[in-house]
Amino acid sequence: MKTFYSHLIEIESVNVELYKLDLSKEQALHLAGLIDSSLHHTILDTILSKLSSSDKRVFLNHLKEDDHDKIWRFLNEKVDKIEVEIKKAAKDLKDQLQKDLMEAKRK
Amino acid sequence: MKFISRKPHYEYLRNKWTLRNQAIQNNFWEKHSEALKHFAVGSLGGLMLLSAPSHPRLSAASEYALSRDDVLKSYDRNVLLAQELLDKIPKEVRPLEQTEEKDITEILSRNFDIKITAQLNDIRLNRNYGLIGGEQHLYRYPGDNLSAHAYNASDFAKYADAGIAPGLGAWGYFAPSQKDFGEVNKERERYYLAIQTFKAPGFAENFIKYRDFFKFRKMLVVNPKTGQTVVAVVGDAGPSEWTGKHLGGSPEVMDELGLASGPRKGPVLYFFIDDPENKIPLGPLKVRSDA
Repeated sequence: MKTFYSHLIEIESVNVELYKLDLSKEQALHLAGLIDSSLHHTILDTILSKLSSSDKRVFLNHLKEDDHDKIWRFLNEKVDKIEVEIKKAAKDLKDQLQKDLMEAKRK
Repeated sequence: MKFISRKPHYEYLRNKWTLRNQAIQNNFWEKHSEALKHFAVGSLGGLMLLSAPSHPRLSAASEYALSRDDVLKSYDRNVLLAQELLDKIPKEVRPLEQTEEKDITEILSRNFDIKITAQLNDIRLNRNYGLIGGEQHLYRYPGDNLSAHAYNASDFAKYADAGIAPGLGAWGYFAPSQKDFGEVNKERERYYLAIQTFKAPGFAENFIKYRDFFKFRKMLVVNPKTGQTVVAVVGDAGPSEWTGKHLGGSPEVMDELGLASGPRKGPVLYFFIDDPENKIPLGPLKVRSDA
């Protein structure tokens, strides 16, 4: 599923490490779901934390419509360097995931 | 008795990532519940954003919304399409007769509110009802790799198993370089079909015209048993006759048609979409609500 932030997130390295583990398809899907869920909530939290109450509603409405152009027009107007913020939040989470993957390999 | 997991690395990640995900979600809800609650009530779309795509975590408000007034909105009308097609589809998988073709394209055009046709620019395929089989991913630009194809981790876990074909598609790379590769071509590879273009009547006599016509030609593919439908493009030529299959679908196409598991094949209807302004996006398609 393509999200409005897909182009900003580099998740390939985590995917590759996950793929190297000896996992069934169901197990891989379960772990991948947890990654995507954590990432999704982290990014939405980053964005919503920078918006006023009324702007939150506008953003959520655009998100509901899944209109990526509208979302980006709105965010760029309301939040300075929002893309940088999203990238940073995603990278912080990804670094933790990679550490966990390294640790899991030692099990 | 103490049980020991045979996959301790999986258990470790599952426990750690479940806890982290719960903590992230709890924090998210605590901080933004007011805006989300207001937004979610009475809105099915709101349910989608309250959780990641594959792990719904519904709030009381959103559950209320779902039970209250979104049941009809969320009803999958594609199931009704399958019912409508039931007595129009031949029992065996064979080329359609002219009257069948006409009836079916009318049904599909009405249900999706787009022009579906078996013939476009005087070109038609050898058949429009056939057996589809699962294909691999295709290289999209020089230096491409499988892990770059996914939008997210779930995507990769779902589709990476299919692998990547060693050769290129019928039209070579989708873009000459990674720099020139964009969203349009990403979607084309994601939702591509291998079609037996070489068996289209008149192909040999009009090779250049047909080659240009078929390149990334938009098509509608329907699983008549379930009504699951996807808009895809012709991205490759094939499969060979000896396979017994009549067309192929990318891993994503097969998934959207409900044919990604088991034998990874099944009967489908496939027609041209007349979309001169290129308005219809690729991907799964739902029957319009007032059809």
